[in-house]
Amino acid sequence: MRRALGTLVALVLTVSACGGTTTSTAPTKNKPAKGGDLVIVKALDSKSMDNTTTFDNDSIWIFEQMMEPLYTVTEDGKGVKPWLATSYTLSPDKLNYTFKLRPGVKFTNGMPMTSADVKFSLDKAGATKGGWEFINTAIKSVAAPTPDTVVVTTKYPWAPLVADLSNFNNGIVPKDYAGMTSKAFYDHPVGTGPFKWDHWTKGSELKLVKNADYWQTGKPSLDSVTWKTVPDDNTRTLQLQGGQAQVNEFPPFSSLGQLKNSSTTQVTLFDSTKTDYLLFNHTTKPFNDVHARRAISLAIDRAAIIKSVLFGNGKPANSFMPPQVPYYDAATKGLQYDLTAAKDELAKSSTPNGFTATYLSAAGNVQDAAIAQILQGAVKPLGITIKIENVDPATARARQDKLDYQITHSSWTMDIADPDELVSFAVDPTTGAKSFYTGYSNKAVIAATHDAQKAFDPAARQAKYTFIQQQAADDAFMAFLYYSPYQWSYSKKVQGFLPYPTGNYHLEDVTLSK
Amino acid sequence: MTAVVERPELEPADPAVLVVAPRARRLNPTLLAGLVLLGLLLLAAIFAPLLTPYGPTTQDLSNSLAPLGGKHLLGTDQLGRDTLSRLLYGARTDLRVGFLAVLFPFIIGSVLGLVIGYRGGLLDTLVMRLVDMVIAFPFYVLVIALVFVLGPGTRNIYIAITAVGWVAYCRIVRGEVLVAKQQEYALAARAGGVPTWRILLRHLLPNVIVQAVVYSMSDIVLSILAIVTLGYLGLGVPPPAPDWGSMIADGQQFLLDKWWLTTIPGVAVVITGLGLSLLGDGIVERVKQT
Amino acid sequence: MAYLAFIGRRMWQLLPVLFGITLVVFFMIHLIPGDPASTLLGNRSTPQAVAALRSQFGLDEPLYQQYLDFLGRVVRGDLGSSFVYKSPVRDLVQGRISATLWLLGMGALFSLLLSVPLAVLAASRKGGARDQAVRIVPLIGLGMPAVWVGLMLQLFFALKLGWFPVSGFGASFGEHVRSIVLPAITIAVALAPILVRSLRTSLLEVLDSDYVLTARAKGISRGRLLVRHALRNAAVSSVTVLGVNIAYLVGATVIVERVFALPGLGTLMLESIYSRDFPVVQGVVIVIAVLVVLVNLATDLAHASLDPRVGVEA
Repeated sequence: MRRALGTLVALVLTVSACGGTTTSTAPTKNKPAKGGDLVIVKALDSKSMDNTTTFDNDSIWIFEQMMEPLYTVTEDGKGVKPWLATSYTLSPDKLNYTFKLRPGVKFTNGMPMTSADVKFSLDKAGATKGGWEFINTAIKSVAAPTPDTVVVTTKYPWAPLVADLSNFNNGIVPKDYAGMTSKAFYDHPVGTGPFKWDHWTKGSELKLVKNADYWQTGKPSLDSVTWKTVPDDNTRTLQLQGGQAQVNEFPPFSSLGQLKNSSTTQVTLFDSTKTDYLLFNHTTKPFNDVHARRAISLAIDRAAIIKSVLFGNGKPANSFMPPQVPYYDAATKGLQYDLTAAKDELAKSSTPNGFTATYLSAAGNVQDAAIAQILQGAVKPLGITIKIENVDPATARARQDKLDYQITHSSWTMDIADPDELVSFAVDPTTGAKSFYTGYSNKAVIAATHDAQKAFDPAARQAKYTFIQQQAADDAFMAFLYYSPYQWSYSKKVQGFLPYPTGNYHLEDVTLSK
Repeated sequence: MTAVVERPELEPADPAVLVVAPRARRLNPTLLAGLVLLGLLLLAAIFAPLLTPYGPTTQDLSNSLAPLGGKHLLGTDQLGRDTLSRLLYGARTDLRVGFLAVLFPFIIGSVLGLVIGYRGGLLDTLVMRLVDMVIAFPFYVLVIALVFVLGPGTRNIYIAITAVGWVAYCRIVRGEVLVAKQQEYALAARAGGVPTWRILLRHLLPNVIVQAVVYSMSDIVLSILAIVTLGYLGLGVPPPAPDWGSMIADGQQFLLDKWWLTTIPGVAVVITGLGLSLLGDGIVERVKQT
Repeated sequence: MAYLAFIGRRMWQLLPVLFGITLVVFFMIHLIPGDPASTLLGNRSTPQAVAALRSQFGLDEPLYQQYLDFLGRVVRGDLGSSFVYKSPVRDLVQGRISATLWLLGMGALFSLLLSVPLAVLAASRKGGARDQAVRIVPLIGLGMPAVWVGLMLQLFFALKLGWFPVSGFGASFGEHVRSIVLPAITIAVALAPILVRSLRTSLLEVLDSDYVLTARAKGISRGRLLVRHALRNAAVSSVTVLGVNIAYLVGATVIVERVFALPGLGTLMLESIYSRDFPVVQGVVIVIAVLVVLVNLATDLAHASLDPRVGVEA
């Protein structure tokens, strides 16, 4: 989710495909019914089922149907709710979390889930190298005192812990991979989820079948789910209309208007946490100057970008945090389009008559190219000349890492229901991410970030995050562009399909009418 | 370029053929058609500012994706830029890049072919092994990989195409030299103590270069196609410069309801390709006529 | 025996070429800016995570050492393991090679189906209107970018008429056949013009040759001659032209696969260049190069056995 690059590569590449010929039965009444095979078509194939080291949504959203965490994100994306655990208590020193496990949960291999499995899973998730282990950095140790209790001890008071445990890398797998090697296990994973492994034909389709012993009695309704890789946008649209598929992941915004006029399919825009930004490199001139950054940010007509790039399906961003994240502050006064103010701001800068800067653009990404060219036109009245340097996405990524650029474009989506994941990444250079690869460093903001991590009282945390958001906006450390939704089109026979703002979906709640 | 190596239907020519052939003064129809097509394209490129009132990069976001006809004859693109303007100015970009991308491989390949063909020996063996190697790489694979290494941009496109394209000229010219150096005039010159460089430049070059020139016509077509393909992959001429390849790529997302966005630049490429192919054919015919 | 010796000699000549290819592909892919670990980690690439992953991939060793390791594995037939898919490159190649071979085979077949009749038509009356038309019209095909031809075919035959799938490869034999038609036509459009012209020339040569003139003197019609003698000749020419253009054909499949979203080697390679999946790029390029080289060898052999004038000694 997570990765601007994943999206870029998705746009740039086509992987492989399959043209299914499953003929659908004639639609009768749209009554929820038991059973059915749900076919989801998407642009990219999954990479791996290893929930601790895999970074692409095309894998994550699938293995989440098999491996479940102790807590999970709520529908609005702003909180967590009990899942494989039923409750927890926090010790007075705020260092020990004691979780009660849900009774009667079984793995799809028939073994009951116990605290030993949880300890194994969490230990393993924290011990990966180059995976998602950073989610678990606050965890000191995990203990399993009784078969249905797990104690997680943190290194320091750490408010986001339960949100961290709800991330998919902390999904529960059988102890010692049920006697398999890690590789053999992830070739056909075993979990407690509503669906279990069937087969994966790489490059074409991945199928999961119903877990009849699922702990939520009566669910899932579907017999099976098949994800098919169909890279071409137009083909996916046609397959949905022809009934060969029931769900189409992310049809391009340019096609939504056309898709809405169908009698058998619908288009829904779900709230997401996707936020797009222009990054400034604070270590180069003139972007070390707050006035220059503010000038550019003020010169961008976000409504025009939303119209051309998202075909109207988005909202201008006022904060670097998206509205679906807890502690987002709608009152944050982010910079918006105001050419006069932009000119005033530039006059105050060290380069009052404008300057020339280079925009690092990811080649082959239609959206990025459009944003770059709109920006080019937008800052011209200020006397600022933007040159576009087009490089392939991986090079762009590498150069952002090294702060080897002047202006570039990036985006973010949340994985967990806690703002810290984004905030510490974006404004705290001590995490190693160089403040979202901008080189931004504001001592007051960094201190507030650390305070917020240790604040357990919601009002106190809100105060910190409100301060951080406003200060970051005033510093114009990035230009916040827009919030965009997750766009899905699916058959009217599909009920209960609800992607959360974090992007994942719960297929045990989906029914397919005949 | 190694792609589509078509042997021009040509006999080893007398060096004087192109210059003084008395009966070849009349243009054959193929050559004429090629010249006319290319001439029209060049005129359109040169007089682009007079033919359209809009700049090729001028955006009008409130009027994006305008249909055909009306104020914008060929409509506008996603950023509200006039398609006709981008098409005409695109001719400037693509023709220039296409010609230049062939110039360097032509020179490098021909010189190398001339030298190794004449000298033979170890150098010849080494260069020919290198040629074998480049040929074993599929053309696009190598060009795409090189553009990745060097980064997109016009200069790097020249370098990438040159790195692959010299091979064909080297092979053609070397082959011709192997034949020509056994001809009487070459043998006589050598026996008469004429310096090697003089033999190469004065006697052999004019004789063997015709083949390379003929090949270069189809090579320009290929290099324009390569630029269009790179543009489609997002590795071509950097935006916002107008270029037919990026126009095709940008229009692809609207294929279902706005087909003209991809069709119009495609037709422009086809016309250019046809013009150059006719020209190449025409030259072959003209040489053969004598 | 002559054949075996010929094959042996050709194989021997290939070794340095293949060695050179490993060298070029290895250093080229490693020279591309951008790092597999940070690409894989995306926005989460903290320096620590990148370092950990790099060491896991063996990228922290000196470059020459990595190359020697790579070469050692290749010699033993091991292409390594993908960084992204975490599975052996050989498995990935096996999964993807069939779409590419289908495309190559059908592309060549369609080119022949298109060009043999045209060439015969043109050669049957040299200099006539039909001849002129056959010489000029295919030139249009030469100037068409494969990318665009593909899109146009999709637009008309798949989207408007619905005769073929827009893209993809399908799961069964029947679906493969249906899916490969448009991509194969795309290749044929570029290849047929070249084939037509060479075929026409060689057919005319045959028709003007002494033994044909003798046969004609004996009263055998030109039409019958064309069918009798021309076919064998057409086969020789086609094989040669296809062989010479195999590298082009394979190169074109990279683009055509991408346009039609075929799960072939070309898409795998492009995708892997983008994600800097070094082992996969290296493996695929080597497989493609070996394929090209083998096809060239097969062409020479076929040429020799079809045309007695060409000896294997050459």
